[in-house]
Amino acid sequence: MLRLFFSPDFVIAILRATTPILFATLAAGVAAKAGICNMALEGIMLFSALFGVMFSHMTGSWLIALLLTCVCGGVIGLILAFFILNLKTDEILAAIAINLTATGGTVLLLLAFSGDRGSSTFSTVSAPAVGGVNVMTALALLMVAVMHLFLYKTPLGLQIRSVGENKNSAESVGIKSIRIQYIALILSGILCACGGYFLSGGYMNSFTKNMQSGRGFIALAASEMGANTPIGGFAVAMLFGIAQAVGNQLQLTSIPVELIQMIPYATTLIGLAVFSYIVRKRKEKLAKG
Amino acid sequence: MKKKVWALLLTAALTLAALTGCGGTSAPSDSGGGTSSDGTYKAALLIAGTLGDKSFWDSANEGLAALKAELGDAFDYKVEQMGGGAADQANYEPTILDYCDSGEYDLIITGSFTMVDALTSAVEQFPDQKFILFDEAYDFEANGNPDNLYNILFKQNEVSYLVGAEAALMSQTGAICFLGGMAGKVINDFLVGYIQGAKDANPDIKVAVSMVGNYEDSAKGKDLSLAMYNAGADCGFNVAGSAGMGLLEAAKETGKLAFGVDSDQASLLPDYAPYIPTSALKNVGNALYIALKQDIAGELAYGTQAYFGFSEGGVNLVKDAHYEEMVPEEIRTAVDDLEAKISAGEIEVYSSSTMSTEEIETLKASVALQ
Repeated sequence: MLRLFFSPDFVIAILRATTPILFATLAAGVAAKAGICNMALEGIMLFSALFGVMFSHMTGSWLIALLLTCVCGGVIGLILAFFILNLKTDEILAAIAINLTATGGTVLLLLAFSGDRGSSTFSTVSAPAVGGVNVMTALALLMVAVMHLFLYKTPLGLQIRSVGENKNSAESVGIKSIRIQYIALILSGILCACGGYFLSGGYMNSFTKNMQSGRGFIALAASEMGANTPIGGFAVAMLFGIAQAVGNQLQLTSIPVELIQMIPYATTLIGLAVFSYIVRKRKEKLAKG
Repeated sequence: MKKKVWALLLTAALTLAALTGCGGTSAPSDSGGGTSSDGTYKAALLIAGTLGDKSFWDSANEGLAALKAELGDAFDYKVEQMGGGAADQANYEPTILDYCDSGEYDLIITGSFTMVDALTSAVEQFPDQKFILFDEAYDFEANGNPDNLYNILFKQNEVSYLVGAEAALMSQTGAICFLGGMAGKVINDFLVGYIQGAKDANPDIKVAVSMVGNYEDSAKGKDLSLAMYNAGADCGFNVAGSAGMGLLEAAKETGKLAFGVDSDQASLLPDYAPYIPTSALKNVGNALYIALKQDIAGELAYGTQAYFGFSEGGVNLVKDAHYEEMVPEEIRTAVDDLEAKISAGEIEVYSSSTMSTEEIETLKASVALQ
């Protein structure tokens, strides 16, 4: 049984399962730092998974497809920002609207594009893998460092964090909070689009309907548990990736499948419990002064 | 003013979103006039999805089209595409009740488990209306034994038995695998048939079994399949809806084999065809064709369940040029022999409907990899 878990295949499986969640976790993090809960990750991911295969089929290049998908992800982030910031829509309702649109809209777009219903059957070009590790995985790991530096070492990063901490005091020192939140949501859309792109262009090599399957929501939880920091989010996303990969390997054993399928959810529950305990302790400490 | 325009646009966008998944509920393909009293037998097919799935619903539609081609004016039918999304399901019951209310149809046909609740209330409210439900078991006893419903079920375990035998015969490593959606009745029926067929073909066969937990997470399906192929399996069978695409991709990536399901996946997915020897099909159209002919003759046994297997033409394996190219002749002959034996009743295939959970677990354990 142990040899199931000590093979290069297993490590690659962990990285593969972590990558889309990690991108979405970073996306959730940057939005949360600007004071917005981006629940639309699920829908942005799904749209991006579809756009990825469509663009790579049209252009024949995975890189151009990735860039175009990122542009689309950014545009969806922009639309979300417009609803929330200009039209004052409730951020949760706007996100639900985007998620619902994605569920039906992707099936409709795919049908219009290729006549396929639910699953793409045309040829695509996926992001290449080096030594079994996809370049998108490497990009995701790189983005952890980039986002950390961006949020904590650049003026714009500081502005995003200050808007998230307290919008009014940020504005009192001349920061245009709406502009900053726009930037954060567009960035969030772009990061999430990378995760969606990887789902259909590296993880899988085709699009199937609703293939994001809750990864956007898992990422939201992961980011929250990681205190919305890139490094904390990375650690939790990795934990989810490991839980997923361990569950997949355990199905090869005679352990009942119902128990195994609980693992990712049990991990979330235990993680959230530990997280809220730590937060409470910290608050108690602060209260005592 | 500006705000109002945006509110309108947003409403329009949301409405569009709600409608996109359902393929237009108001698009009947055929709506001939007349009622059941003018001598024309009229049937309505209510689809909890859309046509064009190249499988289940298309097959049902083709069965009715074949009957129409044969009987001409004496038979007419209408197809209602209700959409398969979560938002569409709220329309199922009103739609089926509308059809009952119109009184225009001699028979209302529908299928799949998503329709059961809507159908149950229609069957109860319109005792004079005749119904057919296919591919989901109807609980006659729990609903007061209605005598206006005919229930068509498919012996997926029989066709799955053949796939299992064929996979075991083609395997070089002595290990095969199975990717299911959720461990429900139909998936388990596939599973027990698959394992039995594999064991009959090779008593020492090992069968790795994984369940995705849903029918949509193709990426997880791929991870599970890669794990099974990496553990030594070299032939697989996917019965996991669109998540099953993961098994096909894993087979292509590792150069292993994968059997298709529900539609001829080798012809549907040319890129994957070299890894798909054949596919297991449910012949919905043929079953409906047979049932409707019986009903027109006044011989259909309403109030009962009927199982369509090989001998009834309800299930089959795709056997085309591609199949002959990929599968050696002696294996094809062996599979044909097994099919004949099942049809003749010489082999009784296990069924999840008559097995307890423990028996299924014991069967799985008897061929487990570890």
